[in-house]
Amino acid sequence: MTDIGNTSLLLALAAAIYSAVAYITGTRKRNPGVVASARRSLIAVFGLVSLAELVLLFALLTHNFRIEYVASYTNRDLSPAYLISALWAGNAGSLLFWAWLLSLFSLITVLQKRDIGRELVPYAASVAMITQVFFIFVILAVSNPFDTLTFTPADGRGLNPLLENPGMIIHPPSLLAGYVALTIPFAFAIAALVTGRLGDEWILTVRRWTLMAWLLLGVGNILGAWWAYVELGWGGYWAWDPVENAGLLPWLVATAFLHSMMMQRRRGMLKVWNMLLVILSFTLALFGTFITRSGIISSVHTFAESRLGPFFLVFISISLIGSLILLYYRSEELKGEAEMESLVSRESTFLFNNLLLVGAAFAIFLGTVFPMISEAVRGVKISVGSPFFNQVNGPIFLAILILTGICSLIGWRRASLRNLVRHFLLPVVLSVLLAVVLYITGVREGIALVAFPVCFFVLFTIIYEWIRGIRARHRMKGENYARAFWNLVAANRPRYGGYIVHISIILISIGVIGSSIYDSEKEASLLPGDSVNIKNYTLTFENMDHFQTASKMVVSATLSVQNRGKSIGTVVPEKYFHNTYEQPVTEVAIRSTPLEDLYVILIGWDQNGATSFKVLINPLVSWIWIGGWVFILGGLIAFWPERRKSAGRGEPVKE
Amino acid sequence: MGLKTKLNIILLAIFFLLPGKAYAASVSDIAKQLVCQCGCNMILLNCSHGECGSRTEMNAIIQQKLSQGESETSIVQSFVSRYGEQVLASPPKRGFNLTAWITPFAAIIFGAGGIYLALMAWVKRGRQVPAPVETRSEEMDDEYRRRVDRELQRFSEKGFR
Repeated sequence: MTDIGNTSLLLALAAAIYSAVAYITGTRKRNPGVVASARRSLIAVFGLVSLAELVLLFALLTHNFRIEYVASYTNRDLSPAYLISALWAGNAGSLLFWAWLLSLFSLITVLQKRDIGRELVPYAASVAMITQVFFIFVILAVSNPFDTLTFTPADGRGLNPLLENPGMIIHPPSLLAGYVALTIPFAFAIAALVTGRLGDEWILTVRRWTLMAWLLLGVGNILGAWWAYVELGWGGYWAWDPVENAGLLPWLVATAFLHSMMMQRRRGMLKVWNMLLVILSFTLALFGTFITRSGIISSVHTFAESRLGPFFLVFISISLIGSLILLYYRSEELKGEAEMESLVSRESTFLFNNLLLVGAAFAIFLGTVFPMISEAVRGVKISVGSPFFNQVNGPIFLAILILTGICSLIGWRRASLRNLVRHFLLPVVLSVLLAVVLYITGVREGIALVAFPVCFFVLFTIIYEWIRGIRARHRMKGENYARAFWNLVAANRPRYGGYIVHISIILISIGVIGSSIYDSEKEASLLPGDSVNIKNYTLTFENMDHFQTASKMVVSATLSVQNRGKSIGTVVPEKYFHNTYEQPVTEVAIRSTPLEDLYVILIGWDQNGATSFKVLINPLVSWIWIGGWVFILGGLIAFWPERRKSAGRGEPVKE
Repeated sequence: MGLKTKLNIILLAIFFLLPGKAYAASVSDIAKQLVCQCGCNMILLNCSHGECGSRTEMNAIIQQKLSQGESETSIVQSFVSRYGEQVLASPPKRGFNLTAWITPFAAIIFGAGGIYLALMAWVKRGRQVPAPVETRSEEMDDEYRRRVDRELQRFSEKGFR
């Protein structure tokens, strides 16, 4: 069976190489037959890689432990859902999954009906296939999921128990799909550079691909945070771990690109910059895969180390340097028609927002690789952890938030001073008022006094913008308010989807600020009957219990909880001792309310029956997850395809 | 300098100058600054592995030294001399490590300067283009309406705003 997998990958490699070459030669020589054959090869690549993926899936589901990958990441106890998730649990599997997604996205790219950008497709498809060649080569040469053992073990080692979490079924594929989807905008950018078709068409073609990649990365990151919060059991959701950063980096750059592409579209500006951002986001996506899969930087994600590092470094360097040279070669032709009417305009806020987003990405990148730099320069091993990232990114993110608010109050092109004052006066006064109220009610932390009013300011500006739009529709078209609201969003989904995403960022920010400033924690060693007080909670240790399941021993502690003297039930933190894994796994107990989470960790126990717990109060954490849902909603509204040709809108545009 | 740039700089300054609270150091104040050495790569304060030997040991050492009246700095320093700089959760703000702390802000300020200069140049170029004379002639209105229609159609056809 592994022969089928290996053979289909080999054939896919050949087909991808042919497709990459034939697309270029066929287009250059204006030979439609060759281009058509390149296209058929690309479709064949999809079919062959899909076959390989199916073979692996079949092997996982049928417990074919002769295959090393199957034996390493699954066992007989695993439920089908986790058997499927084992497809991306290890290096080899996730690389194959990368290749499969890329073949799928390439297929969609060449099959999509398009009004514009048709001339770019052959080159873009070629770039995608070159990337595909790299991945299939690495799979076959370095990390092959179809490698077999010399014997057939009775059972496999099983999935890392930390990965047995519903979030793990969606988080890795979502992030991976986000990484892979960034290949398509990159491919079109390169196509535009190669063909010299440097106008708006490539930007128009990649907008929705970028949006999709960005949405998937965002969802992946939020799910990762949620997984860390409920599964890793340390009380937080974001540790600035290298792999977490690797997921955030391309997201930040893609966010910048989604904004700056509007500048090119509306004003013909920032053409070189947009190219840079696309190249950068693709490189960072490769970097993310590299960090996750090479084990070069130690992290909570180092589930496997491997020899992949050098291959990735070479490919990253080639694509980065190659595309930069290409960009330099075309830079004369990319000179923008930039001209502006005023310093104070939405354009300016977009420029600064781009600077800050890329600046934040740079800070995070630097922090992530700084241990390597330090070791190379000084020969000293250092750690760069959350204190660094929080202190450096805190002010940058706050500035981004402020710009988000300012931006929606300033019109495109030019803002008059009178307009500015008129629009800013109310929200600024209200925000300052909020700061004063917060101070009077006892808030003394400088960060909270600045950050919460800023969040309010941004929220206000968005709602204000919304109300203005609804009132205008109500007045001009006589629609009632509910209808006006609906039509407003429907008439300009990218814009209002964007605003909804801004709201989600505010919700997430409120959660992050609240939980990082006002968290409190206590560690206590308790005998049954003992209590521990934290803020307005009293937790009483009732009893310990342990029982055996098929795959693990579960030790659970029951604590009764009182909130301000009123009983609110029990919490049961647990520890799992898996038969197949040495490390015990902490299962935390979380009681969540919109205001705060009570988070209880069972740490350990000694022979005398004294059991130690760590109890945390994390304020406003649920706002982050609510923000996550709003983020998905806004992203989908912005992403949702518009009808290609709507009836009654005049004649369809002729190309 | 633009109002926003000024505002940003002021905010940055506020963040850096915010006074730290005066307090007697607790175990968690110090545990916050250290990385657990059992290989879990977690900040000591966040490590919740009861079975992790180094967590218990490091916390006990902090507790003991605190009760002996040792200062926060000297306790942290004692860990550095034992495990090396990598025991610190973030690099100390001095020497070579300073580059990690400063470069991001230097880059952003540098970039802001660049944007400001570019904006000035663009605005200057924009103003050289003669401002449209306000006329209310029928042709202008027609031409304007046609352009608006065309732009609107382009937007709606290509889904981009």
